[in-house]
Amino acid sequence: MAAGVAAAVRKARAARPGPATWFAVTVQAEPGELTGPDRPDALARLAETHEVRVTRAPGGRGSEIAVRAADGRTRQEVRAVKQLVETGEVLVVEGQPEGHRTMLGRAATPAFRHLTRRGPR
Amino acid sequence: MRALCWTGVNELAVEDVPEPRLLNRQDALVKVTASSVCGSDLHLLDGYVPTMMAGDVLGHEFVGEIVEVGPDVRERRAGERVTVCSIIGCGRCHYCREGLWSLCDNTNPNPGFLETLIGHATAGIFGYSHAMGGFAGSHAEYVRVPYADVNAFPVPDGVPDSSAVFASDAVPTGWMGADLGGVGPGDVVAVWGCGGVGQMAALASLRLGADRVIAIDRFPERLAMTAALGAETLDYREVDVLDALKELTGGRGPDVCIEAVGMESHGTGAQYAYDRAKQALRLQTDRGLSLRQAVHACRKGGTVSVLGVYLGLVDKFPMGAVMNKGLTLRGAQQHGHRYIPMILDRMSRGEIDASPLLTHPMSLEDGPKGYELFKEKREGCVRAVFHP
Ligand SMILES: NC(=O)c1ccc[n+]([C@@H]2O[C@H](COP(=O)([O-])OP(=O)(O)OC[C@H]3O[C@@H](n4cnc5c(N)ncnc54)[C@H](O)[C@@H]3O)[C@@H](O)[C@H]2O)c1
Ligand SMILES: [Zn+2]
Ligand SMILES: [Zn+2]
Repeated sequence: MAAGVAAAVRKARAARPGPATWFAVTVQAEPGELTGPDRPDALARLAETHEVRVTRAPGGRGSEIAVRAADGRTRQEVRAVKQLVETGEVLVVEGQPEGHRTMLGRAATPAFRHLTRRGPR
Repeated sequence: MRALCWTGVNELAVEDVPEPRLLNRQDALVKVTASSVCGSDLHLLDGYVPTMMAGDVLGHEFVGEIVEVGPDVRERRAGERVTVCSIIGCGRCHYCREGLWSLCDNTNPNPGFLETLIGHATAGIFGYSHAMGGFAGSHAEYVRVPYADVNAFPVPDGVPDSSAVFASDAVPTGWMGADLGGVGPGDVVAVWGCGGVGQMAALASLRLGADRVIAIDRFPERLAMTAALGAETLDYREVDVLDALKELTGGRGPDVCIEAVGMESHGTGAQYAYDRAKQALRLQTDRGLSLRQAVHACRKGGTVSVLGVYLGLVDKFPMGAVMNKGLTLRGAQQHGHRYIPMILDRMSRGEIDASPLLTHPMSLEDGPKGYELFKEKREGCVRAVFHP
């Protein structure tokens, strides 16, 4: 009984998404374009510090890039790789017109950006 | 330049803001000639869409002239008059290629919020909160348009701004509502809401061959406009909508129910009071009166097509009706790119005229007043359009 509970707890722990889980995106590109010597620089750099897995996506949807233990910044980098490969550029929103920001708004912006851009984890 | 900014819940101001510049190589800059209010803005104005910041420029339904293009723009050029889709697509991701443009993977630089709220991030939208990308809107003299080749559509010469402006949002949204419902000959379609979106959904249904379209609202002038398009109308204050729809459809219920009201649905009676109270207490984010009604009214095996914007949770959603009646539930932010060329073409051939929606042409300086008229549906306002 106790052993069963302990096993269940271990299992729940293993299933719980933690920092060691994979962050994955699907990219419209052949796996060969993402693994060979011509792979994007940003992906090559990521692979120096992270475990990266590239597999073919089902249904002609290109490739799946999975990166292990991706923190917020890494997730942002992975998305940027995808966007660059698919569209040739990474969209920028800083530097657009904006009206008067309140003091509170200005103070909260970095944390707010962090959250909306990278997610809560 | 001047721009209409959101400055707080139910507060707007026209301010001096810096002019936009090209930020990416596939951008274009557009000089705005007409920019419309939309029911979606009311959800922002009323504070139901979080992630707005004081100083955000509003506006997503617009037409204008290209004044500058980035070095990687191939198709569009300066001098062209264009309708720009309210939804920003990239044109290259799997979703854009499948025609599901509002699900674009690449145009929302702020995916974190939506991923937490609904599981995945959807496309960026002009002037529609930081959760939807944080793009500056079109209620301004100039606006920056990303991926200009796929998001800006040249307007044929004979089509005036007063109609072309709605090819950006209201018309393709309405068209999508009918399309997602699979509307065709023999169908009876019911449309909840006779704003710009509902009227265009009624028109699209008729153009797609529906036998009958029944439109529901409470404002006489909006009902009359929809009747002028060829629909029958119901005033929900005067009749029991569910009874009336059964009677009008030989007991079957409409084949396709298009909901074009959204999360601030109005109503009569106890359910409305209940919804308002719960929403005010933030126990539900969205009021679902018209949505519930659409599901309840829909014929067995029919389709409910949701155009009205919902963002979070709707209380008392009749799941039992969906399951037991074998309904199909569809919805999306509009996949505008799929329909805009066809819509502009039909406009140039006189098959679609959206200009009656433009009840209030105004200067940008009158922006706050325009929103007030639109929000309160005063002076017969269906859409106020600003000419910066
Ligand atoms: N899916 C999309 O991409 C998309 C695009 C544009 C707008 N929208 C949404 O579509 C909805 C309508 O937009 P609009 O510009 O026409 O807005 P609008 O405010 O002009 O019109 C809404 C209409 O709904 C009516 N209404 C309210 N409660 C009702 C009820 N219980 N039954 C029947 N009618 C009711 C109102 O009287 C009003 O005429 C909004 O929620 C908007 O956010 C969605
Ligand atoms: Zn809109
Ligand atoms: Zn895309």
